[in-house]
Amino acid sequence: MPPRIPCRAHRAACPTPAVRYGIRLQRRLASTSASAPDIYDVVCVGGGPAGLSLLAGLKASPITNGLKVALIEGQDLQKNRLPKDASLDSFSNRCSSLTPASMRNLQEIGAWRHANAARIQPYQEMQVWDGVSDARISFDWDTARSLGPRTPTQPTTIAYMIENVNTVSALLGRLEELGGVDIFASTKVDAIELGTDTEQLDLSSWPVLSLSNGKSLAARLLVGADGANSPVRTFAGIPSRGFDYSRHGVVATLNLSSPGWGGPDHKIAYQRFLPSGPIAMLPMPGNFATLVWSTTPERAAKLKSLSPADFTAMVNAGFRLSPTDLEYLHTLPSGQAEEIAWREKHTPTNERGLPVRVTDVQGGSVASFPLRMRHADTYTGERVALVGDAAHTIHPLAGQGLNQGQGDAAALVRTISHAVQSGQDIGSTLALESYNEARYAENNAMLGVCDKLHRLYSVESGPVVGLRSLGLRAVNAMGPLKGFFMSRAAGGV
Amino acid sequence: MRPAAGLTSARSKLGPHALRLPCSDRCFSVLNRPPPNYEGHIPLTRAERLGLALGSGLMSFLDPRRGDLIAAFGEATAQPYFINHLRDRMLLNPTGRRILRDRPRLTSTSLDIPRLRLLPKNTVGYAYTEWLDREGVSPDTRAQVRYIDDEECAYVMQRYRECHDFYHALVGLPVFREGEVALKAFEFANTGLPMTGLAVFSALTLKKGEWRRFWDIYGPWAARNGAQSDDVINVYWEEELETDVDQLRTRLGIEKPPDLRDMRRAAREARKKEKAAREAAAGAAV
Repeated sequence: MPPRIPCRAHRAACPTPAVRYGIRLQRRLASTSASAPDIYDVVCVGGGPAGLSLLAGLKASPITNGLKVALIEGQDLQKNRLPKDASLDSFSNRCSSLTPASMRNLQEIGAWRHANAARIQPYQEMQVWDGVSDARISFDWDTARSLGPRTPTQPTTIAYMIENVNTVSALLGRLEELGGVDIFASTKVDAIELGTDTEQLDLSSWPVLSLSNGKSLAARLLVGADGANSPVRTFAGIPSRGFDYSRHGVVATLNLSSPGWGGPDHKIAYQRFLPSGPIAMLPMPGNFATLVWSTTPERAAKLKSLSPADFTAMVNAGFRLSPTDLEYLHTLPSGQAEEIAWREKHTPTNERGLPVRVTDVQGGSVASFPLRMRHADTYTGERVALVGDAAHTIHPLAGQGLNQGQGDAAALVRTISHAVQSGQDIGSTLALESYNEARYAENNAMLGVCDKLHRLYSVESGPVVGLRSLGLRAVNAMGPLKGFFMSRAAGGV
Repeated sequence: MRPAAGLTSARSKLGPHALRLPCSDRCFSVLNRPPPNYEGHIPLTRAERLGLALGSGLMSFLDPRRGDLIAAFGEATAQPYFINHLRDRMLLNPTGRRILRDRPRLTSTSLDIPRLRLLPKNTVGYAYTEWLDREGVSPDTRAQVRYIDDEECAYVMQRYRECHDFYHALVGLPVFREGEVALKAFEFANTGLPMTGLAVFSALTLKKGEWRRFWDIYGPWAARNGAQSDDVINVYWEEELETDVDQLRTRLGIEKPPDLRDMRRAAREARKKEKAAREAAAGAAV
């Protein structure tokens, strides 16, 4: 047993639980008792991309695959899986941009090959511009040359567009292949409390979960991957600070008139910063794209109420017309398509720099969600770790939310395997410290950058517009600096 | 054309990245003028625009009756920001948008002046013709816009210019210098076009009595009403010809200023009376 440093008074007062082997023994002895909880090394609450990635990572590693792990998910996991023969004529509206770092992590844990590759769209270029001044920056690895000559190993892909359901299905496929995870799907957590000190074993510092199916689980390490309103975070008493942007993200799956200006092999993502928030169109396979339009709640409600023809016209207008025209168009109850056709005649545009025209919107795919900024004070507590949205919620303008969750999961797997290797208690704050250290500052920086960008581009007129346009053009002209930003956004290549 | 063509071919040898430089800054020079964006458009370089603004500004300050110079000055100073801003204000208003869509032109034929003369006395149309007759001007004396680059903004400028006479009719200010200055101040507060603001500086050339009236009465009236009232550019005058002037003014939130002609007459009579009294007193003293 490694030396333990009593961190808190209540822990110091009571004897620490026995080593893992001992507990296994205890569990077997106590398994007949109805009141005694099942004892697990890791219990993960929440079967989203972050939680599943953590479990797949633990099970894929020879160091940690001996741990007894459980997954609790409120929804039916099988129902949310992508059908094997899913048609390429329709895509989910909830998509994410996976950075090369996240993709590599999914490859390392063996989940990437379980993904439906035909439904993943890598993109090689990104066009970002200012909706007020039209200052533009283009991201592709060719113009973002570092000082030396280009090496063949340098990547050409900026990121991979993937439906969240595809990511989840891939991870579930990998977990099934690996086996050894007790999955409690369609099961809710009724309560999380600290265990009790009985004659047989002392669980007084262990979280014990009461499930809706009547079971109770004790966790050496409880992982909260349970979203922005994380019950695990509440149990651990970790405050989460932040604010609402009073913006909504409108998402939709779009049909385009063609695969795009670069053809099917060179896909381009587009983002235009409007004063109400950025509008982004991200490429999906074939003639499809996914929309994320951050805008005011009123405008989001208006967009959702429009007919498909008017909505389609509004998306085209969002990339082309002036903020003034867009402001007016949102006040019309209907008839946007006709009004936009007239305005486009009087708005000079360079079509080559804009996404190809949207021809239709996939029925029922228009939805919206409120945008928030949240950051937990810490990601770890006594026998508790938070990953993904439970730890942080970010503005979607840089497409980093899911990637941060993947980064958390990978870092927590490293932390746990280090603790296992060095014989530490994986639930101790000491062992978990390195996870917090690895992720907190990095996530905080990314949250801050996205927040500042949101603020910078909310300004509608005045000297700020001139300065930010100057800055954007300057970065665009400086290849190595642009390359630095791109590698940061790619998850540190 | 030759040097520019040589430049283009030289640049194409530099590879695709060289071509990404904004073309507007590079190839537009006196030697290589782009084609006009609309009929009558004359594209200007920045230096030309500056020269035009300075020259026409100075000349129209010295001779305010040169309408063509004032027009050129207005166009040279309205770009790039102010005319776009005015266009945006039209785009935010349903009527303003309709005007931009229909692009109506105000001429003596489109307005049918003789018919307007037969309208009731309280209507906008009657006030307008009465004002035209009193001042001896015609809606056809307005110059064509030539120096605004964007064709829609050029229309906005044209519309502003053609509606200028209606503003006179709406507020009842005469065309001579004093009335014009007051109206320009009102227009500046209302439209934000720099020409109208700079024209207010011609108030410095007013006579002492006129200056006092401007400072005490018309200036404050113009600033208050111009800023508070709705945008007069968004009035579809063609549709308001039969509207009651007072109603329209109330709808726009404009107070009618005191009649300048009456005031000048009163001032003149007062001066005359004073002079006569002085002469009488002098005569009595003799």
